[in-house]
Amino acid sequence: MEEGKAYSPDGVFAHLEMLEARAHEAAVKQEETEQQEEKLARLKARAQELRFQRDELRAKVELQEKGQLGKGGVVSDPAQPSARAVLEWKIKSVEATLQVFYLTGISGKLTKRGVCFCISTAYEGTYLDSYCLDLLIKPEVQIHRHSVPVFIPLEQIAKKYLQTDIRRFLSVLSDHLNAYAGRRYQADQLQEHFSDQIEGTLQRNSLCNLLVFSYNVSSKSKTFPFKVRLLYGDLCCSLPTEVVVSCAPDAPVSLAETAAAHSDLFRRVALHKAFRSFSSADESVDGAP
Amino acid sequence: MDNSICQVYEEIQSLEEEIKLLAEKYEDNQHESTFFSDEEIVMSIKSFQREFQGESKGRESPSDLKAELESLEADLSFLMKFTGIQFTSHSKKTVEKTRNRTVQKHRLSGNCHSLSFQLEFQLLEMQNKESVSAVITDLSIIMESGEDSDMSKFVSSTEERGNLLTFFRSLSSYAEWYEHRRCTFLHFKEDEPTVDA
Repeated sequence: MEEGKAYSPDGVFAHLEMLEARAHEAAVKQEETEQQEEKLARLKARAQELRFQRDELRAKVELQEKGQLGKGGVVSDPAQPSARAVLEWKIKSVEATLQVFYLTGISGKLTKRGVCFCISTAYEGTYLDSYCLDLLIKPEVQIHRHSVPVFIPLEQIAKKYLQTDIRRFLSVLSDHLNAYAGRRYQADQLQEHFSDQIEGTLQRNSLCNLLVFSYNVSSKSKTFPFKVRLLYGDLCCSLPTEVVVSCAPDAPVSLAETAAAHSDLFRRVALHKAFRSFSSADESVDGAP
Repeated sequence: MDNSICQVYEEIQSLEEEIKLLAEKYEDNQHESTFFSDEEIVMSIKSFQREFQGESKGRESPSDLKAELESLEADLSFLMKFTGIQFTSHSKKTVEKTRNRTVQKHRLSGNCHSLSFQLEFQLLEMQNKESVSAVITDLSIIMESGEDSDMSKFVSSTEERGNLLTFFRSLSSYAEWYEHRRCTFLHFKEDEPTVDA
């Protein structure tokens, strides 16, 4: 501080202002830091609470599981369960059984004016999309709403069976939907797991009953492109009715045999499984001395 | 300072998730190891209605719960009648439960017309980005009418592929045909005493 300036009125005020400003800044910073520290302390306390809760629950669950292993039978709550708890148990059980119906392919729920059915689809053990139909039963059975894709011949099937045999209607519709889901699954699996063997894009229509693509076949460490066209003429089937496998005109003669073998395979075996067998066959060929 | 606050936030989030999973596990274990008979259920409904005095904060009244149970049982009984598939017992055990994966072991027995079955399988449910996928593994099927060679071939190929859906779809049509054949057979064996199904 310059002694000369200290004693002039302007100098003193300017200096005081600067000190005030500095003090203010420091106070604000101090407050911020205190707030942050408070926040951190609160959060740490919360984490501590949660850790305690978590450890309690863990111990409870362990006790449950030990109890079950020990008795091997029905474990009864030491406290007599309340009537409400018994009812809630029963509700949960019935809900669980209703969920199992989903796995059977046809499930549903009664509505004020009819039934809402749900058709589930699956390919072997993998469950795929499900489709719902909201049916009204009066004055006659009619489809109020549905989530069936537009390329499935729903009206046709409904016209034939809905009025006379609802079970048959659902069964036929389920055949169509499951076959469609199965075809789509095979094409998806092919694209997901065998994209390295596919040349270009796999062309398919929305019903997935026409597939056209090219794939590589290796023979004597050279690769040849095969073109394949699969037509699934039976909409209730997930195997093709027509298969055309062609190789390039300049390809060796032995390849024509391979093309014929592949054509036959695609007719009998699911698409992705056929390709899986190619990979394992290739491996055994390459592995041979 | 910000860093440590961030860390604690993350820890809190992961603890909350863990607590949620543990609570669900506790509930599942509790539910799966309990059993109440139909008589106990009926008695509980009656005693619940008796002891319920006035409003209970935010919880369902006995008549609400009773109505919910009746509606669910009506749905179940309708489905069993409609599909012909009657489940006589069902139990499940949650074997694994994480944020994205649940594995449950199911035991199911029932009949379709006159054909009885017992199933055991594992159901794996996985949470993907937009949906839940379900896969059946370790499927084991026991059919009462096991002498039929076609049936045993069908059962073993179904078991191999985990084809639970196809099993049920085929069961319905097969059971109807089997029932029809049995009735026809009995009709022609008029002089023999009738066999109880």
